Amino acid sequence: MKLFGRINLAGLATFCIFLLLWEGFARASPLLQLYFPPVSRILLSLCQLIFSWELVGHIVATLGRFLRGYLLATLLAVTLGIVLGYFKLAYSLSESLIEFLRPMPSVAIIPVAILFLGIGDAMMVAVTVYACAWPILINTIAGVKNIDRTLINTARTFGLGRWKALRKIVLPAASPYIVTGLRVSLAIALILVTTSEMIVGVSGLGFFILDEERSLRTDNMYAGIFLVALLGYGLNRLFLVLEKRAMAWHRRMTAGEQI
Amino acid sequence: MKWRIESKLNGILVLVAVIPVWEFISRAELVNPLFFPPMSKILQSFFLLVLSGDLPYQILLSLKRAAAGYLLAALVFIPLGVVMGLYPWVYRLLEVVIEMARPIPPPAIVPVAMLFFGLGDEMKIFVIFFSCAWPILLNTYDGVRNIDRLLIYTARTFGLSRRRMITRVVVPAASPQIMTGLRVSLAIMLILVVISEMVGSTDGIGYFILDAQRRFKVDQMYAGMLSLAIVGYALNQLFFLSYHRLLAWHKGLIGVGPT
Repeated sequence: MKLFGRINLAGLATFCIFLLLWEGFARASPLLQLYFPPVSRILLSLCQLIFSWELVGHIVATLGRFLRGYLLATLLAVTLGIVLGYFKLAYSLSESLIEFLRPMPSVAIIPVAILFLGIGDAMMVAVTVYACAWPILINTIAGVKNIDRTLINTARTFGLGRWKALRKIVLPAASPYIVTGLRVSLAIALILVTTSEMIVGVSGLGFFILDEERSLRTDNMYAGIFLVALLGYGLNRLFLVLEKRAMAWHRRMTAGEQI
Repeated sequence: MKWRIESKLNGILVLVAVIPVWEFISRAELVNPLFFPPMSKILQSFFLLVLSGDLPYQILLSLKRAAAGYLLAALVFIPLGVVMGLYPWVYRLLEVVIEMARPIPPPAIVPVAMLFFGLGDEMKIFVIFFSCAWPILLNTYDGVRNIDRLLIYTARTFGLSRRRMITRVVVPAASPQIMTGLRVSLAIMLILVVISEMVGSTDGIGYFILDAQRRFKVDQMYAGMLSLAIVGYALNQLFFLSYHRLLAWHKGLIGVGPT
């Protein structure tokens, strides 16, 4: 977590030793080089790929699908989650359906999505929405259900309308849960985008990595993996920064309670 | 309690009601029946595939791979997590490497695994091993770090040897969180076995579903998904059962009590 908080020299040293060992072994054995090109060569092809703009299109494609899927899932799942958390009847009607669909690994939906939507962007976005929606939905339901009754009753006493109570009380009170769901879904979204890119294979980083592996350009493959990891890391960091800003009021409140 | 039962009943009624609605939509050709075969046909091919032993065979294959990767990950990363939790210098040595490897989305590892292990079982086992590693490792580490100091001091006062302290105090005290890691990994395991079979395999349930879609045996595809949902549900239930059995002592301790 605190990678850049204080510099962990020992950790960095291990990492460098690991890289040096990789470099050394790869250079020493030509057979290994096929699978494990030296780190220096991977970095070189990474630079080449970026400066030749070959990868930029793939990155943009992946990022675009990720964003569309993730945001759409958030919108749908939070709305549905509030409805299901708020109205007991709605929840009791859909509970079994949710319990039945949720354990199915979400990637199994990919073939269905291909059938209905073909192999374009729409299919990849739809798959991402489906997979991301679950953690957000479940957490939103839990968040709304666990709201302190006093809060709702107070709102009612003060004569807040349904809509206003939703915006001023329910949504903020459930937001710590919702944020947890959003965070889990962040990783899932990236998994689903790259997987569907691998399976339908048109563009994007997932496609790029698998394609380079099949053409045995392994240095490019590792460069692609590095970029996906960087993307995941960057998105996670961004999420944490946004969370810190958005949830500052909540942290202040919980800290205040402890004192 | 009474409300709970009614709520379950409601949900199951909805689940049952889905079947005729689905049937109607398909028979009335509201949606292209090629993509959306009637439920009766799906259930029929499901039972045919189960009885012919085809589906159980594919699922068994997938489960074998999944179990191997999952258990291997648990076997390696629970001890590593305990060691990292007990000895801060080990954690500091490995921190950077872990933080670098963790953001790699698991599907991106599939091509690397294919390169090294081909399309066989080892490839899937490695992919599952890799992706299950992080939740198990980080939760175990967290669990060990958050053990009540008092427990450790007491154990020391009673003169427990290092080994006995680890087996009698540290691991049991961290076990609720270790179980959390294992539970998160269980879902990841199922997803990754399906992904790896879709991307590079000639058998297994993931391959079966994608292949059925490609051959336009759409009823078989849905039957495969149905079986996956059942397997996922069963695995979850099994996990909960063993969780409650294994951690019965813990529940008694925190006062919720198995009633």
